[in-house]
Amino acid sequence: MAPVLGPLQPLVDMITSPLFLMIVLFPGLTSIAIIGALLGWLERKVTARVQLRVGPLYASPAGGILQMFADLIKLSFKELFVPENSDAFFFIMAPTTGLVIGAALVGLIPFAPGLQIANIEVGLPAFLAIITLSPSLVLLAGWSANSKFPFIGGLRALFQQTAYEIPLWLSALGVIMMAGTLNLAQIVAAQSTGWFIIPQALGAFIFLVTSVAEMERLPFDLPEAESEIMMGWQAEYMGVLFLAAQGPGFVKLYAFSALFTTIYLGGFLGPTFLPPLFWMLLKTLVIIVLIMLLRSTFPRVRLDQLLRAGWTTLLTLAIVNIGITYLLVVGLPTL
Amino acid sequence: MVAQGIPEIGAYIGFLFVSTVALIIVLRLLVTPRDPRPSPEKKKPFESGQIAAGPGRTRFIIQYYPYLLMFVVYDVIAMFLFAWGLDLRALGASGSLPVLVFIVVLLIPLGYALHLANHRENW
Repeated sequence: MAPVLGPLQPLVDMITSPLFLMIVLFPGLTSIAIIGALLGWLERKVTARVQLRVGPLYASPAGGILQMFADLIKLSFKELFVPENSDAFFFIMAPTTGLVIGAALVGLIPFAPGLQIANIEVGLPAFLAIITLSPSLVLLAGWSANSKFPFIGGLRALFQQTAYEIPLWLSALGVIMMAGTLNLAQIVAAQSTGWFIIPQALGAFIFLVTSVAEMERLPFDLPEAESEIMMGWQAEYMGVLFLAAQGPGFVKLYAFSALFTTIYLGGFLGPTFLPPLFWMLLKTLVIIVLIMLLRSTFPRVRLDQLLRAGWTTLLTLAIVNIGITYLLVVGLPTL
Repeated sequence: MVAQGIPEIGAYIGFLFVSTVALIIVLRLLVTPRDPRPSPEKKKPFESGQIAAGPGRTRFIIQYYPYLLMFVVYDVIAMFLFAWGLDLRALGASGSLPVLVFIVVLLIPLGYALHLANHRENW
């Protein structure tokens, strides 16, 4: 194309390039913010329906769907200050970086053929490695606030990580053994003959349980347990920082449901009369609602129960799953 | 092909970081109100309405410390299995034998460590 705009041409080229549009619009920033706010509304609505309540109702004609946007505006206009004796830099840095980490996960997910920000060869381990940072940020937030409830919440996040981290990685290993690749787009392509949830049913169950623990959602929301330690590590946050502390929960819910869909439910594969993106978002929505129903169904576990279950039951089941997958891929040993 | 996609994810994370920080700075400077003379009680840490007493970073739970020690060891071992799982079809049964022996050998000390960790009075 001839440079007709003079010095502005490189800028226009950058803004109209597909990668820039993906980063800013669909799998990237804008859609993540809108989907995160809508998931906040959906969670309140689903929980309300389970408990025979109405939930958000007045913020728009369509069942209060704009409630979270109203909350967002309200929180932006609240005063912002840092508690005394706290480490201001890390106090502000921890939730901000948490928001970035949560949104960075979405960039690794293939939403449709070609509709993926970064097609990394090691996509699945990269996703799990990025998410590993988030309990450390929770501990940092709890430590820097210099207050008792956030500190207890941060330490709980640290101990909780030891319980779920290894079963999470080992259940993902089953998928890698079946597919023979670490690339998420190639894992989807490997499922064209059959979704991995059928041979990997046990692994999918472990992955779902441990990813709920990773997202710190009920029944594993020990670091922020409202009724025990007053929102835990989020207790001292206010205004925009509270928003930044709450937001990653919904963004991680979106990212983990999309990852579960990608590695177990065939990703964007589906009947061809509708576009692949539709199937991807439909399956992701089903997993999101399933995880929201878990929140309404189960009570919170204790920390020692979670640690013992993670290190004995979940770890044993993950190793059994690796054994089953080994027999499926290699076959029975011939003596 | 190892570097494929790395610049994209770098650009994406950089864009996210800059836009998040810019959003918070803009909201802080333009939108959120300021209190020129905050009262001394306002900045006290939250302790359910009580007057905050003692240091914020108090003594903390240590009875789960053995789980942290086990995590440091076994999280690294889970990484080794990824390299094996990736090439499982090429390795086949004979190539996988050392890894299976490796797993079994590591499960024995894991069981003993769990036995100790579940007896918290030892710690």
